[in-house]
Amino acid sequence: MEYVSPEGLRLDGRRPKELRQLKAELGVLASADGSAMFEMGNTKVLAAVFGPKPVETRSQEDDKRCLVKCEYAMASFSTGERRRRGKGDRRATEITKAIRNCLEQTILVELMPRSQIDVYVQVLQADGGTRCACINAAFMALAAAAVPMRDILASCAAGYLESTALLDLNYVEDSGGGPDVAVAIHPNFDDRVVLLQQDNRVAIETFEEVLQLAVAGCRAVGEFMRQRLLEHTDALAAAREAGQPQEGAADDNEDALDEDDY
Amino acid sequence: MASPLISAAEVQWITAGVSFNIRNDGRQREDFRALSVQLGVITQATGSARVQLGETDVIVGVKAEIGSPDPDRPDCGRLVFGVECSPVASPAFRGRGGDELSGELARALERSFYPGPSGRAGGVDLSTLSIVSGKTCWVLYVDALLLNIGGNLHDALSVAAKAALADAKIPKVEVVQGEDPTDEPGYEVDDDPQWFSLYLYEPDYEVDDDPQQAQRLDVSRVPLCVTVSQIGAHSVVDLTAQEELCSSASVQVAVDESGVVCGLTKRRQKGVDPSVALEMVEVAQRSAAKLHAALAESLGGQQAQQMSVG
Repeated sequence: MEYVSPEGLRLDGRRPKELRQLKAELGVLASADGSAMFEMGNTKVLAAVFGPKPVETRSQEDDKRCLVKCEYAMASFSTGERRRRGKGDRRATEITKAIRNCLEQTILVELMPRSQIDVYVQVLQADGGTRCACINAAFMALAAAAVPMRDILASCAAGYLESTALLDLNYVEDSGGGPDVAVAIHPNFDDRVVLLQQDNRVAIETFEEVLQLAVAGCRAVGEFMRQRLLEHTDALAAAREAGQPQEGAADDNEDALDEDDY
Repeated sequence: MASPLISAAEVQWITAGVSFNIRNDGRQREDFRALSVQLGVITQATGSARVQLGETDVIVGVKAEIGSPDPDRPDCGRLVFGVECSPVASPAFRGRGGDELSGELARALERSFYPGPSGRAGGVDLSTLSIVSGKTCWVLYVDALLLNIGGNLHDALSVAAKAALADAKIPKVEVVQGEDPTDEPGYEVDDDPQWFSLYLYEPDYEVDDDPQQAQRLDVSRVPLCVTVSQIGAHSVVDLTAQEELCSSASVQVAVDESGVVCGLTKRRQKGVDPSVALEMVEVAQRSAAKLHAALAESLGGQQAQQMSVG
């Protein structure tokens, strides 16, 4: 299969260094403390945050920091071929751990001792880059829940096919057999890398190029999320002034502002 | 779900409100909450719908796959129902937490679509899903995902399942001749009932991926579920999560567009008098007409829009 045409266009018409269309919506679920829908092209992910709240299992309580719990679930209609999700299959466990690890580095856990934050991500539609979309969705949901965080957490993947570094692979490109480098960064801490995973073998020089591209993609995703959070905060502030509080407007407002100041 | 709490005073307040025919959100006893139906939310699925009934929020995705028919009904396609409780809806659904609820809901959905022995009497005419009798057919996987639990899940799910099936576009399939060079069609069926579906050679299928050729399923006979509950001495429809905690008995009735009752399930702890049960069924029939009208209106509008875009 030809992944990059002679004109330099990819299968879905993108340039090699182009992201898919990003969409983010905050406060989409009524019962969660914070929620977000994040789309990267056809990949569509929903995240919900419950907490901070008291720790459920006393033995896990930590006097120094809050506990972050995660779960990753794929809807059975999310993939091309329908598949019954095996709860707790290995892939899901791995992604759950990867997400939790990123979030623990981002949330100011030491500010909330003896508490727990639950973060759940639900993949509605999978078209490559689900783990990156999940991390972005989880970050947006945490921001909507006004959880204090160190920085924006932005994630994006890049790959290498037909001697070209490609940003933000879709499912077809992901299955193309080339390397797939998933990265998450804190853009305001000199792009500090908080997640780094790579599949398939690759020359070290190529890896460097792909990594740089992925980091650049993360920066763009981070900027997009920052803009969306600012818009969201403006909308909440406007709603408060108009005296018609939106869903969760009153409690979101102050901390969401803090969030955006970083 | 984590057992939701309600105080005695709240129960009393809600019950008194119902007896005055004014509920907490201003509705009357037989009013539904605002219904929002969005078609085609999962673009990769054959059909999909997100339904919001007040705070209750569900997505149903339909995936069509080619499979083999049930040996008892060789000339019919199959519908397979599944319900998943997303942890996004409640931390109680973490791990295997939602399994019991999802099993119950999937069975309830299945029942309202279930065909008679011929496969034709149900809400969907399954014989239209057959490709080669006894050998291949369309299998429609109807998978629901609960995103938010805000009361009256059964009714919301039945609306979502019907909407998603109405949105489904089944590709056209042509059976073409297999490898055999004779002029016979691609398969032969032995008359001996013991060898009912013995194929001499494999037919081939061509799935037409032109969306213009795709067919929509006829869902006009699919019933919708209306759950009528007793609060105090009154019958109430479309309970919120809080109202559900005040109800002692409820009857879930599947009613089709012409008002015919297609299925019935009694739920909750307390029994009801037969005369009360009959009255509840009447309430369900009245309310179902409203629900059918609301769904038809939103389906009609969105499908017309899709047509004009396509």
